[in-house]
Amino acid sequence: MPNQRFPKIEILSIEQHEIKFILSETDTSVANSLRRIMIAEVPTLAIDLVEFAENTTVLNDEYIAHRLGLIPIRYTSPDTLRASDCNGAFLPHRECVCFERCPRCSVEFELDVNFDQTVKERSVPEHERTLPFTVTSADLVSNHNSVEPAHFLHADEEGNSHDQGISIVKIGPGQHLKLKAIARMGISKEHAKWCPVAVATYRFYPIITINEEACARLTLEQKQELVDVCPDRILELDEVSGKLTVSEYAWEIATYTEDLKVAQDAMKEKPEDDDFVTVEHSTDRFIFSVEGTGAMDVEEVLMSSMRVLKERLQYLSQQLEQIREI
Amino acid sequence: MNAPERALSFLLDEDNAEQKITYAADTKVSNAGTFTINKEDHTVANLFRMQLLRDPNVRFAGYIHPHPLIHRIDLKIQTTSSTVPPVDCLTAAIEDLAGETDHLIEQTTNAISKWKKENQAGMGQFQ
Ligand SMILES: [Zn+2]
Repeated sequence: MPNQRFPKIEILSIEQHEIKFILSETDTSVANSLRRIMIAEVPTLAIDLVEFAENTTVLNDEYIAHRLGLIPIRYTSPDTLRASDCNGAFLPHRECVCFERCPRCSVEFELDVNFDQTVKERSVPEHERTLPFTVTSADLVSNHNSVEPAHFLHADEEGNSHDQGISIVKIGPGQHLKLKAIARMGISKEHAKWCPVAVATYRFYPIITINEEACARLTLEQKQELVDVCPDRILELDEVSGKLTVSEYAWEIATYTEDLKVAQDAMKEKPEDDDFVTVEHSTDRFIFSVEGTGAMDVEEVLMSSMRVLKERLQYLSQQLEQIREI
Repeated sequence: MNAPERALSFLLDEDNAEQKITYAADTKVSNAGTFTINKEDHTVANLFRMQLLRDPNVRFAGYIHPHPLIHRIDLKIQTTSSTVPPVDCLTAAIEDLAGETDHLIEQTTNAISKWKKENQAGMGQFQ
């Protein structure tokens, strides 16, 4: 392994729905591959097949089937705490040997909501008996005890909602919705409903350099102008020493605007003079921000993407061996 | 109606005996050849290209993904000497990348558990 790199990972924050981290000592190709895999190739569960028994609601079968597909389905591994990677716990349904479906490759959900019956059971006051209510993801009953719909991303969202889960359809007097939904494992190259992330992006870490020598020729007013011209506030001026400094959180807020360049070009005696302040992209340091949909914990999405990449590389290396033999 | 199966963008077409990788040596340029990798895209192609370019034995490495609906990449490699065939360089590149990924998995596992240990107080378990 003559040309191997040893990248570093630094976690900035992990929340229920978002992870931020810095990947360093590698190049864009690795950063971009991870980003692309997180978006398109990390397997998750999603409803893929719906069998309708009864649907007298205002929405047609296809419409409801599509909505069911988009509900994030969450797997929680029984043995490890907070592990939500379904890869390995389930088989992709095309790889499974069963005839149609089996517990190794699919999870069944039952949904049966009858307006009149529900109103009776809930003992709704007389004058509210004809008011429609919403059928939500909370009405889906799973046949697998570690798989269920992710109703909300976090407690705040749950608190702000009027419903128990994700809305599917509003139901009124005399209406009935009864169906069986089958969730399967897949990747979002096939359909975006299997995408575990809402956002997965990276930015280049900024390298901000202040040329002290050149700055010495500037007046205090000119330095202040440089500070003020940056909409992202990456510079600060020390009033006492009159020195320009890079602000503490500049790496987080730098947006690489042209304003600084234009302003300082106007301050130069000759156009070819050195820049006073330069803001450049780092080529080996990336700030990642990944937001999940609720189907998986975000740190698991990251881990899973790396495992997917590793498996792919192993597979390709095996295939390459076969070429060699020919 | 006649739309191709969505899964064919990442699964090999077994009915037509599609191979994952095929290799064709270049007939005009010495020490060069093109690998055709089916059902792959920029995700691995660019990874391979950049890793190959870090290899001193590689004179040229480039790929094309012909069209978003054609799920194939053509990776061309030329080496600096006839003693090093392109397939050796690609094998080495994949091996390096697999090693890098292993290292990343280890780094990330440690970084996540370290972060959780340090910040556990603020982390409520959400159910
Ligand atoms: Zn099965």
